[in-house]
Amino acid sequence: MDKKKLFVAMVVLAATVAWSGVSLAANPPGFDDNEIRIGQWGPQTGPAAPWGSVARGSKLLFDIVNEEGGINGRKIKYFIRDDMYNPAQTSAVVKELVERQGVFAFVGGVGSATGMAVKDYLAQNKIVWVGPSAADDNFIKPLNPYLFAVYPLYKDEASILAKYIVENLKSKKIAILYQNDAYGKDGLDGAKDRLATYRMQFVAEISVEPTEKDLGSQILRLKNSGADTVLMYVGPTTAAIALKTSANVGFKPQWVSSDTLSDYPLMFKITGGLWEGVITGAFGDIPTSTTNKYVVKYREAAKRLAPQERWGTFYMAGLLFADPIVDALKKAGRNLSTESLLKALNSVKGHQTLGPPVTWSEKQHQGTDSVMIQKCGPNGSYIELQGWTKNDLATWNK
Amino acid sequence: MDMKREYYEDVQLFKSGVVLFWSAALLLGLFTFPLYAPNYYIYLLNVIMVHVILAVGLNILVGSTGQISLGHAGFFAIGAYGTAMLMSTFHIPFVAAIIIAAFVAAFFGFILGLPALRLEGPYLAIASLGFGLTIMHIIGAMKIFGGRMGLKTPVLDLGIPQLGLSLPVTNDLQKYYLILIIAVIMVVGAVNILKTRVGRSFVAIRDSDIAAEVIGVNLTIYKTLAFAVSAFYAGIAGGLFGFILGFFDPFTFNMILSIMFLVMVVVGGLGTVSGSIMGATLITYLQYDLFKNIAEVPYFGKFMLYISDKWFTTVGLENFSSMAIGLIMIGIIIFEPLGMFGIWIRFKKYWMTWPF
Repeated sequence: MDKKKLFVAMVVLAATVAWSGVSLAANPPGFDDNEIRIGQWGPQTGPAAPWGSVARGSKLLFDIVNEEGGINGRKIKYFIRDDMYNPAQTSAVVKELVERQGVFAFVGGVGSATGMAVKDYLAQNKIVWVGPSAADDNFIKPLNPYLFAVYPLYKDEASILAKYIVENLKSKKIAILYQNDAYGKDGLDGAKDRLATYRMQFVAEISVEPTEKDLGSQILRLKNSGADTVLMYVGPTTAAIALKTSANVGFKPQWVSSDTLSDYPLMFKITGGLWEGVITGAFGDIPTSTTNKYVVKYREAAKRLAPQERWGTFYMAGLLFADPIVDALKKAGRNLSTESLLKALNSVKGHQTLGPPVTWSEKQHQGTDSVMIQKCGPNGSYIELQGWTKNDLATWNK
Repeated sequence: MDMKREYYEDVQLFKSGVVLFWSAALLLGLFTFPLYAPNYYIYLLNVIMVHVILAVGLNILVGSTGQISLGHAGFFAIGAYGTAMLMSTFHIPFVAAIIIAAFVAAFFGFILGLPALRLEGPYLAIASLGFGLTIMHIIGAMKIFGGRMGLKTPVLDLGIPQLGLSLPVTNDLQKYYLILIIAVIMVVGAVNILKTRVGRSFVAIRDSDIAAEVIGVNLTIYKTLAFAVSAFYAGIAGGLFGFILGFFDPFTFNMILSIMFLVMVVVGGLGTVSGSIMGATLITYLQYDLFKNIAEVPYFGKFMLYISDKWFTTVGLENFSSMAIGLIMIGIIIFEPLGMFGIWIRFKKYWMTWPF
């Protein structure tokens, strides 16, 4: 048994040696005289891969900025890391970027759970994070001095959509189909608050599990409720199944959906054309717009710099979410520091390019509560129904 | 060279002084690792060690007992949720919580072991796959587990805060030592199990369950026990994993994770503890580090970017990760069914018999 004793003794010795000499080194700086390093995580492979275009959209923006000469003499070096929509991997890639590559700021970042996994870590390390590509109350409350949100909250969006349904569509019988998670419940709450102001209620509130594939009973309940308009807070697959099932049973309400399904060409394709006529909220301007000069400029640049990419809602969202930081970096000047960037971001006021006007202050980091309302036309084309609309019932700014 | 002359030689934890020396040297290296390694690797090592614990446990089931499981992410989830819930809701100290959670996982392992008495091969694989998916959805549907919104882990406190004995573990480095100690205990435990009557019964079942029954191995007990032990390991690993993340949702424990666990065991080498350690280390390193940063690797990164721009889809280089892991699997199965352990054995034989 001597060997065991020796073994234990060595372990104890090693442990004490290690414990006594522990120290943490500082992270490498996020910029130098020639470049500013910016990172983003996003699912490039795995189940959420279609949303990976957000991270690649931001790349286009930084490529354009670099082509125009960079920011105050510095080029942007941009890192995309695939996290497969898995929080464990998000932590790994973010730590790698911060501690090995030395990243000054993060932009975008698809997913609520993935963002939650790194939110506190980024704040502890004083890394600025602009435009998480998910709406989550936890990102803005309590106030995180390093986190700046662009994406309008689902609650606000649902409230604006409900107002549109009641006032513009003159619907009297409204039902809701919502996903049984934070996203769906936020939609439900926001719409209910709005309907309460009209002394109205949903004729049916039907929940659906995100992975459910047979929606026969849910659709039947919607049909039996006599609803003429159905508000949807579900994922793309669920929406496609819901529309197909409804068409099969001859149930043809006006579908209204959240902005997560505002990629019309995609939805048009996966529903076999049933998406035509669906009304959705939108967090960005119409990708095919000819009036918004930023959309036109970036779309033309995309043809040149990223010809293999499809110019769609989520690709454009990558530019939209990353856009404010470019402006703020310019304002922060050549004498760059985290403090000067924060100061510039905190004084962003009414900054509007591809999406709604964004305003941040030292006390408020939710940039906007405005959404646009759009409708899917023939062949997945976009029709604008209502421009940027604020939510007068918003609670986050109270 | 591995001839045993007596029973006690067989049950020894270390086969020789050489093995003891190198084991101790490895441990010393691991304990002093943070002194000379960059910060980032501490997090990576934490994940690797958690995967090592799980792979060692899974290998007892898959490699030593010959039962397959595609549902280990389920036990992993039970461990993670169990530990976090017991600590935050019932205020049970960490050490007790993780052990209770692991026993809960072991109980579910026992339940899953029951159909394994009747099912074999692909049928068992499907049954266990179903188990893993079901656990994910049950947790997602229940509000007390935070539903699909996920759960934030409480502060990891090794003491008993209610009695004023607070010993919080906050940064990656402190977690590293905690996980390292637990991993060493679990690995030594696994080596020991395989050297006992229980371990030999497992191996007998793997080689032929009918023959095992004939020589007096109770199949009902030992098959379910193998599942329970394996699930216990997954439970401990899951409990630690939750604290590494700090926040997790049911989707974290998806089917792909179960498959990656199996990949670790197969690539490492079925039926060996050292193989599981090598497999978990290699696969985790590839998946979490090398494949993520391949574009930054000198020369090779540029070459891969060129290939990806030319031939791959817009997603580009990221596709390479899944392809490479698939190719490694195929290569291992064709050329070295014993996995990395087999490569190691060949290397050792070559070295010992050199120059012949």
